[in-house]
Amino acid sequence: MTWNTRLRLFLLVVSTVVLQTTLFPDLRFFGVAPDLGLVATIAVAYRVGPQRGALYGFANGLALDLFLQTPFGLSALSFAVVGYGVGIVQAGMSQEPRFAAPLLSGLGGLVGGAVFVAVAALAGEDQVLATRTLWVLPLAAAYDALLGFVLFPVGRWATRGAEAPAARGARSL
Amino acid sequence: MVVYRRGNRRPIIILLIITSIALITLDVREAGPITGSKSIARDALSPVASVADRVFSPVGDWVGGITRAGSLRSENERLRRDLEEAQGSEAKVDVLESQLAELSALLDIPFVEDSDAIAARVVSGAPGNFEWTVRIDKGKSSGVGEDMAVVTGAGLVGKVVDVTQDSATVRLITDPDSGVDVVTADYPGPDGEPTRSTGFAKGRTGSDLLRLTGVGPDARVEEGMEIYTSGRTTSLFPARIPVGRVVEVEKRSPEQEILLEPIVNLDSLEYVKVVPAAGSAPLP
Repeated sequence: MTWNTRLRLFLLVVSTVVLQTTLFPDLRFFGVAPDLGLVATIAVAYRVGPQRGALYGFANGLALDLFLQTPFGLSALSFAVVGYGVGIVQAGMSQEPRFAAPLLSGLGGLVGGAVFVAVAALAGEDQVLATRTLWVLPLAAAYDALLGFVLFPVGRWATRGAEAPAARGARSL
Repeated sequence: MVVYRRGNRRPIIILLIITSIALITLDVREAGPITGSKSIARDALSPVASVADRVFSPVGDWVGGITRAGSLRSENERLRRDLEEAQGSEAKVDVLESQLAELSALLDIPFVEDSDAIAARVVSGAPGNFEWTVRIDKGKSSGVGEDMAVVTGAGLVGKVVDVTQDSATVRLITDPDSGVDVVTADYPGPDGEPTRSTGFAKGRTGSDLLRLTGVGPDARVEEGMEIYTSGRTTSLFPARIPVGRVVEVEKRSPEQEILLEPIVNLDSLEYVKVVPAAGSAPLP
């Protein structure tokens, strides 16, 4: 990975954190905000594979955790797990499905949200154990799916020159 | 390094999971340098965030205006009605004010002032879906500190939980981690003398209402009754700030099941005041 790629990924982390903490709190739908950093993680992991995807997710999650009241490391854990999972899925693909961006963003958003809630509950964050969570997670995942359309091209730009072999070989249908 | 070797993927994710769990544990136990690191990082990103706030604030307002058009219309109507009522009771207020001044002088009660309070603008809501906070545009440089009470003219908003040089995070009273020592408004006791009950108002998981606990079965708490901060020595909040209005009471033993609606509309906060710990609250 070149320094240029590292710089672009760093800029992506900073941008997603700034947007998540300044713009998206006001862009809620039905009271639910998307998880920009998680979608960026999915977009990056889809290009760079499981290991780098997990590392990027961990870094992006840690950066976001600095601004949340939930325990430090919680977003890092869920983003890393999702980044790793998306990288594994991507490695198994011979061709890029038509709706990879919204599909992976939505599913990844749902899995990431579920991991976040499960670990938060184990850490004693009782506020996540509410019926509200049952509709917050799918709504946030749907919002993430929409943002996938925007963030996948951004992820492709940020990871230029650092793609995993499977991503380089994948072609759109 | 073994963790980067192709075909040997698992060690890196295991390492990241262990690191995350260690960080979560340290933060939950409030051990280690995590709180300090958070503050430093927030300060570092603060200039970028300020610029972003200025750039994105009109976008957020615009979208907020669209998504809340219906509620804004009804709020407008309600405000118009309130204004008419307020104009009608202006004369009454003049009389009450002069009475209050006389009584304060007579009882030598330090007059409640808001000259120490720090006015701040709410710049954004909570970034996540599982916390009930807002960020304000005043921080350490303006005298804002942790645990200070945050109010509007109507009542209590919450308390400061995190401060950077130029901004602060306020945990709203509806956050399940919030709790406020409160008293009820006066009501006639068994001997006819005015009395009041004390309790603890706590945010409820998944709800915009607060739960009032610690009120015995004999207390006469009724729907519509206002609840205030108690100002006890153990409480962070100054006394007599309106917190909520009782919306549901269920007589039970050993304590009543009481729900409160916050006095302040926490969904549309724009300007707030931070009350320094040593100061006092603005007159409700």
